[in-house]
Amino acid sequence: MQQPEVRTMGQKTMGIKSVKTKGIRSWSSYLFVLPGLGFLVFFMFFPIAYNFWLSVKDVKVTNLNGEQHFVGFANYATIFKDELFTISLTNSIIFTGLSILFQFVIGFALALFFNKRFPGRDIMRSLMLLAWLMPIVITATLFKWMLAGDYGVFNYLLQTLGVIQQPVSWLTEADTSLYGTILANIWIGIPFNMIILLSGLQSLPDHLYEAAKLDGASRFQQFVHITLPLMRPTILVLLMLGVIYTFKVFDLIFIMTGGGPVNASFVLPLYAYQLSFITFDFSLGATVASIMFLILIALSAVYLWMLRKEEQTL
Amino acid sequence: MIKQAISVLAASCLMLLAACAPSSTQPTAPAPSTNQPAGSGSGSTGEVITLTLWDYWSTDAQLKALDEMFAAYQKVRPNVKIERTYVPFNDLKNKLLMGATAGQLPDLVAIGNPDLQSFAAAGALADISAEIKEWGQTDKYFEGPWSSTMYQGKNYGVPVGSNNLALYYNEDMLKAAGVEPPKNWEELKQAAQKVAKPGVYGLVAAGIKSEEGAFQFLPFIWQAGSDLNTFDSQGTVDAITLWKELVDSGAMSKEIINLNQQDVAVQFSAGKAAMMVNGPWQIPFLQKEGKVKWGVVPLPSNKQGGTILGGEDWAITSTSKNKEMAWDFLKFTQEPENILAFAKAMGYVPSRKDLIQDSYWQNDPILKAFADGMEFAKARAYGPEYPKASVAMQEMMQQVITGAKSPQDAVKEADAKIKPLIP
Repeated sequence: MQQPEVRTMGQKTMGIKSVKTKGIRSWSSYLFVLPGLGFLVFFMFFPIAYNFWLSVKDVKVTNLNGEQHFVGFANYATIFKDELFTISLTNSIIFTGLSILFQFVIGFALALFFNKRFPGRDIMRSLMLLAWLMPIVITATLFKWMLAGDYGVFNYLLQTLGVIQQPVSWLTEADTSLYGTILANIWIGIPFNMIILLSGLQSLPDHLYEAAKLDGASRFQQFVHITLPLMRPTILVLLMLGVIYTFKVFDLIFIMTGGGPVNASFVLPLYAYQLSFITFDFSLGATVASIMFLILIALSAVYLWMLRKEEQTL
Repeated sequence: MIKQAISVLAASCLMLLAACAPSSTQPTAPAPSTNQPAGSGSGSTGEVITLTLWDYWSTDAQLKALDEMFAAYQKVRPNVKIERTYVPFNDLKNKLLMGATAGQLPDLVAIGNPDLQSFAAAGALADISAEIKEWGQTDKYFEGPWSSTMYQGKNYGVPVGSNNLALYYNEDMLKAAGVEPPKNWEELKQAAQKVAKPGVYGLVAAGIKSEEGAFQFLPFIWQAGSDLNTFDSQGTVDAITLWKELVDSGAMSKEIINLNQQDVAVQFSAGKAAMMVNGPWQIPFLQKEGKVKWGVVPLPSNKQGGTILGGEDWAITSTSKNKEMAWDFLKFTQEPENILAFAKAMGYVPSRKDLIQDSYWQNDPILKAFADGMEFAKARAYGPEYPKASVAMQEMMQQVITGAKSPQDAVKEADAKIKPLIP
């Protein structure tokens, strides 16, 4: 309560002048936002707006420097009618859904495990992070080799265990190639899920568990009624980030299968890439990128809505 | 307070400026005369003209060859400096397209010959028809590489050097199975099936869903007398049926649909396949890594012989301010002794008919197989829509090899997509 007093005193001594400059002061404080705002406009709003602008024109390689026309939403109609769009959207949803489900469940289990105290825990925990630290190019190439049909170690293992009789060409079979890439992506994502959940778990107050124990709650009841509700904000953030990140995965699939065989593991980012940089249909590529952007915006909106509900209930 | 506002503004402006300043990626020496006309190119004025070049050459041998050529050129034109920027292979096309829209292109580019037409259509390359006509050496070149430098009857470049695909074979494996290197499809099928045994495939080729897969499959279509503009024909069906039969009989792995050309070379050099389809750029790799004894013969023929042209073209960009000097450099690269020196150092086959008679290519049995291929090596000069047609063909290959569609259906479907794209 002392501080404001001192400030008003100071202003009084400065006299009438300060009252006059008040308008300028609030104006000048906006100026401090300018660099940040400039950055946002330059590096975020402009590319997004430009991408959208590109998606309503008819730019391709032949008229890159020539006449370009405004075509409205014709590109969107073309894309929605394209069979490849349906395939890649479905694959993207399967890829994201399964990846997140397994990453989260396994990550959560490991987080609960590493939340206990046992010898060697810290070393194990940092080793787990390796999967997250490794460049995707390396992970993808490793999994490509491991899942190879002719000489892959994965087939060797399964055959030795007697699970399969004949080697399976995991990445060159239409039925399995998408799941091969999902497997690699799950492996990459587990450590991230684990670390975020673990940091959430460690901030949970111990006394709640002690009280529950005294009341005779089982381990499972403790998990469902204490851990899960308290972890809700962490889980929401994690799932949101996970979905956005996984939906955009490009390099992993590009290296492992290139979207093949035929289009069995073709996802939206690959679709956008192929249109923009292989067949040079820049406007169509921008259209797919815009559609992906809208899907992710919609998901983010759901997340924000859930977060607000969360805050209201607290 | 106003002072404060001004200082904040100034500070933010400075920050923005700093962020936008061109990062000095090239250690550019002050080049005061880049914007001045090249003049007669005689160099009498003593001004330094800088020619900028983008390319994707990266191996030590390639860089050495480039340096030697630049040095030789500098002796002839002491006032010209060539400033080279390396752009990774996968980025070059994007960077050229971006440069074309922004008007920031180098003077010269070396691009893959199937891409030249796309960039000519995009307006990124300069029309040098008049200069080529005056120069008058067109008839000395093989038709394949020369056709790749043209678009809609106009000249947009000159060949850097060529390569093509041939059939590598493992001498020991073929001898053990008692077969000769195959000369036609029937022999190829029999040989591949005969040498195949557990852990060893008869043949390996790249069937990956990318331009590399298309590159390896197109020669088979041509050998069967078909082409992209007559795609829905028996020849195409025969070509893909050949691959399908090789896969079904176990002579070729069905994993080829996920192999690129380097993967193919690795399998061959590791002795996992007795024959492979590949280009001369794999020779250094096989000499260094290969534990196998190998030889090379031209690709087997069907109705006719056929192979596909690879390699690069030189081109001058449409925005170059030193077009005359750039053309002078291109002419220099095409002088016989320069072509020979450069091709030998870079592992190219010369694109000129007379130069291929050089003993370097004629006396080496391996290089001769590639030199012989030049006579019928065909370029992918199908116009700017070729990449789309290629994607359709790649899908067709994968559909048939995985057994998702019959050869007839898959070819018919691909033809419907290719027809409007290829004139």
